[in-house]
Amino acid sequence: MKLRKVIKGIIAVSVLATGMSVAPVLAADITITMAAPDWPPTRFMKEHFDKSYTSPAGHTTTLDMDFIPWPSFYERVAASLTSGEQKYQMIVTDSQWLGAFVEGGYYMNLTDKIAADPELTAILQDLHPALVSAYSTYPHKTRAQLEEIGEVPAPGVAYYGFPQFPDTYVTFYRQDIFCHEGEMAAFQNKYGTNLPCSYEDWQDTDWTKWGQVGEFFRRAKGDLLAGVALDDDFYGIAYQAGKGYDFSTMQTNAFIWQQGGDIWDESKMPTAQAEGVVNSDVAVKAFDEYLSYLQYMPPVSQTGQMDIFVIQDLFMQGKVGAIIDWVGLGEPVLDPSASKVHDKSAFGPAPGSRKNDGSIDRTGNIGGQPFVLTTWNEDEVVDEALNVVKWWLNSETQLEAVSNGGQSGLMSVMADPSYNGLRPWNRAHVEMIDWQKDVWHIPEFFELLTQQQEEFDKAITGQISAKEALDAVAEFQQELLEEGDYIE
Amino acid sequence: MANTAKTRSGFGAWLLDPKRRGALLVAPAITILFVMNIFPLMWSFGLSFFNYKASSLKVPTFKGFDNYGKVLTDERVWERFQTTAIIVSSSVIMQLIIGFLMAMMFAKVFPLRRIVLMLVLTPMMLSFVSVGVFFKLFYEPTFGIVSFVLNFFTEERFVLLGSPEGAILGIVIADAWMWSPFVMLLVLAGLVSVPKYLYEAAEIDRASKWRTFWTITFPYIKSLLLLAVLFRTIETFKLFDVVYIITDGGPGSTTETIAVYLYRTAFQFFKTSQSSALAYIVLFIVIVLTNLYLYAVNRREEEVE
Amino acid sequence: MVRKHREIGKAGWGYTATTSIIGFIYFFPVLWIILTAFKTRTDALATPPKLFFTPTLDNFTSVFYRASITTGSSQATDMGLYFFNSIFIAGTSVGLALIVGTLAAYAFSRFPLRGNDTYLFIILTTRMMPPIVVIIPIFLMFRLSGLAGTYWGIILLYTAFNIPFSIWLIKSFFDELNPEIEDAARMDGSTEGRVFFGFCIPQILAGLSATFVFGLILTWNEFLFALLLTGVETRTVPVAMARTLGGEVGVDYGLLAAIVTLFLIPIFFVTFLLQNQLLRGVTFGTVKK
Repeated sequence: MKLRKVIKGIIAVSVLATGMSVAPVLAADITITMAAPDWPPTRFMKEHFDKSYTSPAGHTTTLDMDFIPWPSFYERVAASLTSGEQKYQMIVTDSQWLGAFVEGGYYMNLTDKIAADPELTAILQDLHPALVSAYSTYPHKTRAQLEEIGEVPAPGVAYYGFPQFPDTYVTFYRQDIFCHEGEMAAFQNKYGTNLPCSYEDWQDTDWTKWGQVGEFFRRAKGDLLAGVALDDDFYGIAYQAGKGYDFSTMQTNAFIWQQGGDIWDESKMPTAQAEGVVNSDVAVKAFDEYLSYLQYMPPVSQTGQMDIFVIQDLFMQGKVGAIIDWVGLGEPVLDPSASKVHDKSAFGPAPGSRKNDGSIDRTGNIGGQPFVLTTWNEDEVVDEALNVVKWWLNSETQLEAVSNGGQSGLMSVMADPSYNGLRPWNRAHVEMIDWQKDVWHIPEFFELLTQQQEEFDKAITGQISAKEALDAVAEFQQELLEEGDYIE
Repeated sequence: MANTAKTRSGFGAWLLDPKRRGALLVAPAITILFVMNIFPLMWSFGLSFFNYKASSLKVPTFKGFDNYGKVLTDERVWERFQTTAIIVSSSVIMQLIIGFLMAMMFAKVFPLRRIVLMLVLTPMMLSFVSVGVFFKLFYEPTFGIVSFVLNFFTEERFVLLGSPEGAILGIVIADAWMWSPFVMLLVLAGLVSVPKYLYEAAEIDRASKWRTFWTITFPYIKSLLLLAVLFRTIETFKLFDVVYIITDGGPGSTTETIAVYLYRTAFQFFKTSQSSALAYIVLFIVIVLTNLYLYAVNRREEEVE
Repeated sequence: MVRKHREIGKAGWGYTATTSIIGFIYFFPVLWIILTAFKTRTDALATPPKLFFTPTLDNFTSVFYRASITTGSSQATDMGLYFFNSIFIAGTSVGLALIVGTLAAYAFSRFPLRGNDTYLFIILTTRMMPPIVVIIPIFLMFRLSGLAGTYWGIILLYTAFNIPFSIWLIKSFFDELNPEIEDAARMDGSTEGRVFFGFCIPQILAGLSATFVFGLILTWNEFLFALLLTGVETRTVPVAMARTLGGEVGVDYGLLAAIVTLFLIPIFFVTFLLQNQLLRGVTFGTVKK
């Protein structure tokens, strides 16, 4: 009810705004309070805003960032929104929270604003379509659906968010051991294929080779690694397999999608099923493959606690040769005070599944966060918030962001000749972003995710088989989604 | 003017009437408690009869006891109650044993006792979060000190959190370590309250140490021990951060306590009404425990008097 | 008036040595945390774990300063303010609960109301409630009343949080006093105020300090309410501590340890000073002469 009213209001306002665009705007003091996780990409935004932002409308604008620690970010935002505190004008959000908070009437529909503003339209057109699909559309539209429509903004699609920090996972690897001549020769000898050393080698690395790398570099304390005796056990590979939040789903989805399986596809509501899809033979086989590489990973993999931070630490402390992790966690790897491998690390695209034609499918689950506007603001504040959006997504700001621990989703920025040289993972990020899809966005997202993480965790810790896990997930999802009228 | 003053003094006199003295003195406490505690409680009690979801704009409708029925027939809820019972009972037993032994240790007067006692009391003053984080690090198979020490005896790296039993043990150790000092203080208080002449009499009778303990010491600490059990049970029932950080309920859902599940239902699934109903079932259990606790206190008082 | 503890026995330095070893083993995890505060990240995660290392004060510096993203210059983190907030909020609310609780406890002990035990029971029940149950209504209430983000809001909440405990503990101390002495004083023409302040309060000072310490331990590390109900200016240390738990890296062990160590100092000091009273207070006054 309220939502509809708000939308009507927005329509009325935008009609007025276009009709009276010549009317003089009075300068005002505007404070935009933004809920933001406390980490470099948002702290950069604040610092850079204070330095470089001038309001095109002549307002005196303050960006008041409420920096909230990452681990409690969701609780703080959820409590603020659901209690009706109406504290924030803008919010950094995980894309998967869109459904819950749009349905709750908290996130503002920007479709008409974008349509009425050529500058915003241009930004939307310049954003990578995978990001638009994941970060902005609700009800969710896949990239394929958006591209089929062709137009941007697509008619009949509702848009909400813009990228604050677009994230993908890439391979972090130890150049010193992967490019060591002795190791390369030994690997070639053993497997009849090359040890991936250069970026191009990683472009040709599939999961089979990933497993071989894991087996090859599994060394015990005292063994030689790249000619040096090890003072501790060493492992070849690691990727996320953790029970917390989405720390196994993000990687298993990649396996399932790449091999032609699927998760429950919300863009095909209400005909899409969970039962028979989620636990299809293809999906079970893919999940089994995901599980099969865990044996080559550090012992923490047996606990189901091997999350994105644990593998980052294992890599930084020199316990593992290659990991698949988010670009957003790359910066500390290069920091000499935190990382033993700061001068030995290189980055490549994440491995994928080899298809019959020899090409590699790298479909992956997108990470990162969009930011959104909230529904309770005065027109003046909304317009100014949109000015902030335009400022943030202007290519100059974006290039600054990329060189200061941020990332960009603008295709023009990623195509900029200087872009690849700004951060060592940029080339891999651009390659990976083209492969991104996203998990569900419906309000029941957390319930789906929690149950799935639980079942996956049982499989990861060896309590049940891949099939049992996916059967349980499918059964739960089918029931929940039928109850919620998502499945007919 | 005079009239007003008179009324005021009249009201003042009424208020200060000795008959109302008790009520007057209690009033500030009850007011604060009512506003900050009881009122929110009643609010969520009301919600538990609707189908309200904080993430939905739908107008909530009255559902009677539906939520209670749903929660009580949910297998997942029962599983979590079981987990909670296992964790609570093993942790409390461990706290009792350690707390008791330490109390025996500190029941004597010895040089630097105050300082040594502080060493043992400190864990209580740490935040749950830091205890969770550091115990998880201690258990970590690659970086952890537990695995390092045990590696002298085993070939493989020691992986504590890989099995349900190990994960429960890991949580219980952290919680028991933190709160055994509490039990110790209770027992110690009982021990120091034993009149000295009883021991002197026992010595004259040449009673064995074991007998002295059972006939003299134990009666004095019996009720305090029971107190410790109940108070710690109630507190451990609320255990959240330590579980959330060390295992996040895993492996699978084998260490997910009712407090963690309550949190998920309320804050992640936004089943506001259903979580309120579950909360009230939890509260009911807590009230039963509280009654037992009060019973224990009363018994102790009667005994001493 | 001041009762001496009757100990079971006395022991010498040999006993001290034994208990010290056991105490030290028990203290070891705390010691490890304190040592971690002086370690770099690579030392904190060294294998095998390091007991001896080159200490660094960087973590303590990072508690109060951190580098700007764009210029690299150091910026203050407001941690000083958060320490002040924690001390101010915990101190005030525990103190308030002590005052309000003492008044109520005196009434419950000396002028029983009808249904006295029922009131006492209801009061205790509120303390036993899992906090997650009431978080949404409290959050709504704080917003409506404008208390969210203010010192008064969180202080009142923590006061309510401490009142049940205070009443129960203090009541048992009043119960121990002999009311006949008070009546005698009344006969001699002492006012109610004089009886209360002149006779009762001085006798239970030890109990009051024990109540204070206990309230402080329970309030000091409270996280959930503080996270949701404090604002940028009223944030407490446990909330700010969460920034070390994940972001660009996982747990920042050194920084977390540094904050934990600094945050331990005030409460450790208070507990040490009031140790003997604490020992007595924890018995809920059930141990009588």
